[in-house]
Amino acid sequence: MATVNNKKAARMRKAMYCCLLSLLFVLTVPLIPYAIDVHADDAAMSKTGQPPSLDDPAIDLWNEVRQRNGVSYGSSQTEGVDRGVLINSKGEDWRRFRMEMLLPYGAMFMAAVIGAIMLFYMFHGKTVLTEGRSGKKILRFTLNQRTAHWFTVGIFWLLGITGLILLYGRAVLIPLLGAEGFSVTASACKEMHNLIGPLFLLAVLAMMLLFIKDNFFKLVDLKWFAKGGGMFGVHASAGRFNAGEKTWFWLVMIFGTALCVTGLILDFSVFGQGRELMALAHVIHGISALLLISVSFGHIYLGTIGVEGTLESMTTGYVDTSWAKAHHDQWYEQVAASGEVIDPAQGDSKGSVSGPGVNPAASD
Amino acid sequence: MFEQLVNGIFWDIALIVFFAGIAWRVLTVLRRRNHHDFSQPRNSGLIGAVMANIHGFFPRREVASRVRLQVIAGYMFHLGLFALLFFAAPHVTFIAKHITGFSWTAMPYWAFIVASEIAFAGLILLWVHRVLNPVTRLISRRSDHIATILVFVVMLTGCMALGESSAELKAFHRFTVELLMIYFPFSALMHAIMFVPSRTYSGAFFGRRGVNM
Repeated sequence: MATVNNKKAARMRKAMYCCLLSLLFVLTVPLIPYAIDVHADDAAMSKTGQPPSLDDPAIDLWNEVRQRNGVSYGSSQTEGVDRGVLINSKGEDWRRFRMEMLLPYGAMFMAAVIGAIMLFYMFHGKTVLTEGRSGKKILRFTLNQRTAHWFTVGIFWLLGITGLILLYGRAVLIPLLGAEGFSVTASACKEMHNLIGPLFLLAVLAMMLLFIKDNFFKLVDLKWFAKGGGMFGVHASAGRFNAGEKTWFWLVMIFGTALCVTGLILDFSVFGQGRELMALAHVIHGISALLLISVSFGHIYLGTIGVEGTLESMTTGYVDTSWAKAHHDQWYEQVAASGEVIDPAQGDSKGSVSGPGVNPAASD
Repeated sequence: MFEQLVNGIFWDIALIVFFAGIAWRVLTVLRRRNHHDFSQPRNSGLIGAVMANIHGFFPRREVASRVRLQVIAGYMFHLGLFALLFFAAPHVTFIAKHITGFSWTAMPYWAFIVASEIAFAGLILLWVHRVLNPVTRLISRRSDHIATILVFVVMLTGCMALGESSAELKAFHRFTVELLMIYFPFSALMHAIMFVPSRTYSGAFFGRRGVNM
């Protein structure tokens, strides 16, 4: 009886061992090719020093889709630009540039310009007319020139504010308006920016046609730069426009044109432009806009509170002769020699009784 | 709440004020009695009226070069606004649904964009010119500036609602339109309706006296 029981127990043990071995076999066999592959890769890596490529078709497919090594085009039944590209890795480059470079450095640049202006104002103060006002006037800007200027100002700031909201709104406005509030604001700003945008082209063209004549650099402009624009006590001679104004004019022309061209590429995406061109256009658009907005702070400062008597040249069209002598002496001499100085008290030097505000010349 | 007000009672009030106001203004002009003209007519009043209406569309030769900007910007704004008002797809749908009951062919999207650009450019140029020109600034009243700003705001809110992604933006645009409709009959904006009878009357009056307007 005991012998029979021992035999039964021995068979059970054998059966158990068989089951365990079978289980071990089933679990181990699929790992054998992997182990061989890893071993082969290790061997290959020890020889070449490079990680091995896995011959897994799914990995190959994903690598093709992800396109880390540049964009490659496949075929598609659908029609449209970039239709053969599933994932464009350069979009990530653009996103990172926008988030990590354009936004923080753009904000820092704008803040630096505002800070510099404030410091300058604190230490230098307003540039006043030391001679006082003479009461005699000179026509500086015609009505058409002033209309073009203020038209450009209106369009520039409409686009500037909506553009800044689109660029910095997520960081600045979501905490204030909430996500839904910002989505409404962003939608409104996007539509406004896109619709008003093309008018900036008209503004830049008008500015170019009306102001280019007197904005070419001359030798006197180098001297003006060397003397710091007369801001530090030394008189800097200048013609109708000084070198600072000319620099601003050319910045507007160059970066304004860049803004217009890239804006049209972004706004009317129906002419076959792909994502890469659009991303490049966006980068140029953002940099140009932030640069112009930043420099415009300086332009606004000098045109309003920075220099006494400047703003009236763009509102009434006329400047006081003391202002002209102080800041544009060469231009003043030309105008005075041609007898275009107006003395409201006695009529102008040509004997006319017209004066600022009613002179027909200001309406041309 | 705001949307309900704008789409409901406020719209009804604006519509009533708009049409009743225009009717009142037109009737006021028509009821003015003029002295009967017993003089022998030197020329046809009818021809004078027709010619005055036609000539009104062109600047006088003597001042044409001086008013070039106003004329060009004026045409840009008025033609652009007319096209937007009556041929923009959302407006055609809205007018058909709420006013006329029938619709007409709307302009394509690209034409809508062009019309908007032209209208915006024209309006901004006209207003900047009005403020900067010493003569137009002197003869402009507060109501002229209010009318310009109100029209600009209506156009701007319309532009903001263009994406049709937000009911709030659409309601805001409609609210500004309703404000404009209420203001319209009591302002210089009435020139949109009165320019024809005004030119006709003046043209006929002077035409009878042999004066070519």
